[in-house]
Amino acid sequence: MNSLTVTNVSVAFGGVDALSDVSVVVDAGQIVGIIGPNGAGKTTLLNVICGVNRPDRGDVALHGTVITGWKPSRIAGLGLGRTFQTSQLFLGMTVLENLMTGLHLRGRTGLVAAALRTPSMKREEAETRERALAALDFVGMRAFADRSGTALSFGQQRVVEIARTLIGDPKVVLLDEPAVGLSVPRVAELDTLLRRIRDERGVTLVMIEHVIRLVMGVSDRVIVMNSGHKIAEGRPDDIRRNPDVVEAYLGRQGDARRPAP
Amino acid sequence: MRVVVSHRAFLVVLFAALAVLPVVANQYTLFVGNLMMLYIILALGLNLLVGFAGQLAFANAAMYGIGAYGAALLQVRLGLSYWIAAPCGALLAMAIGTLLAFPALRLSGIYLALATLAFAQFTQWVLLHWNTVTFGAGGFPVPQPDFSALGMSPDRGIYYVTWVVTVVLLAFAWRVVRSRVGRAFVAMRDREMAAQALGVDLLRYKAVAFALSGFYAGTAGALYPAVLAYVSPEGFDLFQMILHKAMIVVGGMGSIVGSVIGASLLVYLLELLRQFKATQEIVFGALLLAFVLFQPRGLVYFVKRYVPGWAEPLHYASDSGSSSDVTVADEVVTGSGGGAPR
Repeated sequence: MNSLTVTNVSVAFGGVDALSDVSVVVDAGQIVGIIGPNGAGKTTLLNVICGVNRPDRGDVALHGTVITGWKPSRIAGLGLGRTFQTSQLFLGMTVLENLMTGLHLRGRTGLVAAALRTPSMKREEAETRERALAALDFVGMRAFADRSGTALSFGQQRVVEIARTLIGDPKVVLLDEPAVGLSVPRVAELDTLLRRIRDERGVTLVMIEHVIRLVMGVSDRVIVMNSGHKIAEGRPDDIRRNPDVVEAYLGRQGDARRPAP
Repeated sequence: MRVVVSHRAFLVVLFAALAVLPVVANQYTLFVGNLMMLYIILALGLNLLVGFAGQLAFANAAMYGIGAYGAALLQVRLGLSYWIAAPCGALLAMAIGTLLAFPALRLSGIYLALATLAFAQFTQWVLLHWNTVTFGAGGFPVPQPDFSALGMSPDRGIYYVTWVVTVVLLAFAWRVVRSRVGRAFVAMRDREMAAQALGVDLLRYKAVAFALSGFYAGTAGALYPAVLAYVSPEGFDLFQMILHKAMIVVGGMGSIVGSVIGASLLVYLLELLRQFKATQEIVFGALLLAFVLFQPRGLVYFVKRYVPGWAEPLHYASDSGSSSDVTVADEVVTGSGGGAPR
């Protein structure tokens, strides 16, 4: 079943083509890895999907609903989650409050209910807290609930961000370089966490990643991008052997600068 | 001996003291107490917008003026009762405040500050030069509402009205920041992109923040003509804006009790310096600068640190934090990352 489809999308920034005619189909319940050199258009592709950038041409559909041109908050409401390359924790809040903010779309409390502390508002607040604690349990971070975001290590911030995205039960989550800056043992933990998210929660994951060992290990399918084009797509083993991919990363074989061994 | 003072106890004592003030105080002290409460309302509203929602707007004094002129002109020009004119003034400020959310959707930081400052100066210009409506630079007297039915003088009567309004607005702000709406504000302030990705509608929450702040400033403004019996443009000029800003910075951005502390303290200082009018601006400018540079988290940060029992959850912006908050490296922390923390 198609969960996410990107059809012939092109984006240009001031005459530079960031994406040229890119099409992607993501099946539900898969982990799809996106790799490619810097400037290949990977992050732009995620930004187009989640509504931060508007495509010049082409369409994006989530579960069959065309979402091209929608506001990011509205797309989030349709079940799309997103994490970022740099830490995007709300540092003025505790870890628990960060998680509770992840349930924003599930809540109904407005100014009036907040002011009157209506019974339904109190119930909603208590439920939100419970779910936030449960989500922290899922990633093994419950002990950090009342800490400030600033008191966490880089890897911990990353995990809290993933939990904050998952808590709203998105069907598709876009991850932008989740392993960046992580040490080798932390990458191994991330590998396990991503598989659990797919298998235990049935979430479809689309992940940009430069740590090749992680992408090739967890991805069901890998998409390779270069200079705004999709140059290859397939199972990790096929991608490894694809001559176009090898060329994009290493240069052409027989190239003078890279003499064959 | 260490003093245990909870933030709640502090507020209860302060407002209990303000409630009995009319019994013991002379005319002047009563006026200062009333002024203090007006500034508490102004600081609360500005802190919701700047300290919590992170919108660096400089139009608070203008909203204050719109509330005051709205309430006063509806009485003087149209002969409306104060009890109808005052809510209208507050709602007018709220409506105009809400419109400022639209530029705020495109502008942030210093650009939003400049745009809102321009708006504030424009308002000031209108108050000064639209003589046929606003009476121009000299201002005009406004009759105080009558409290003789309750056997109270106008000064004392309006003092109690201000007290009730301040307590209600304080409780309201307290509850809002600890709710889903408050979390959306802080999320928007700290990471706009991530807030959007979690479904926080930026236009909506910026509009809510500007509306709330406009309503608070407009309410303080609507009380102003009843307290002072006179309205003139200089009551809402740039110095006022610096004063409001200094109150929340000195008290504590992202703190409700900090707004109360900052407003109370600075009104007291303002009165101490009343004989030396020329020094007021220098002192407040210097105070604002000193706190921005050396203690951007405000007094409430110290209070929370050194007074046991003070438990208000603080939501200061991370970039105003001290350097000791630099993210620790992964390897330094044991049991970090995705692993279970024991």
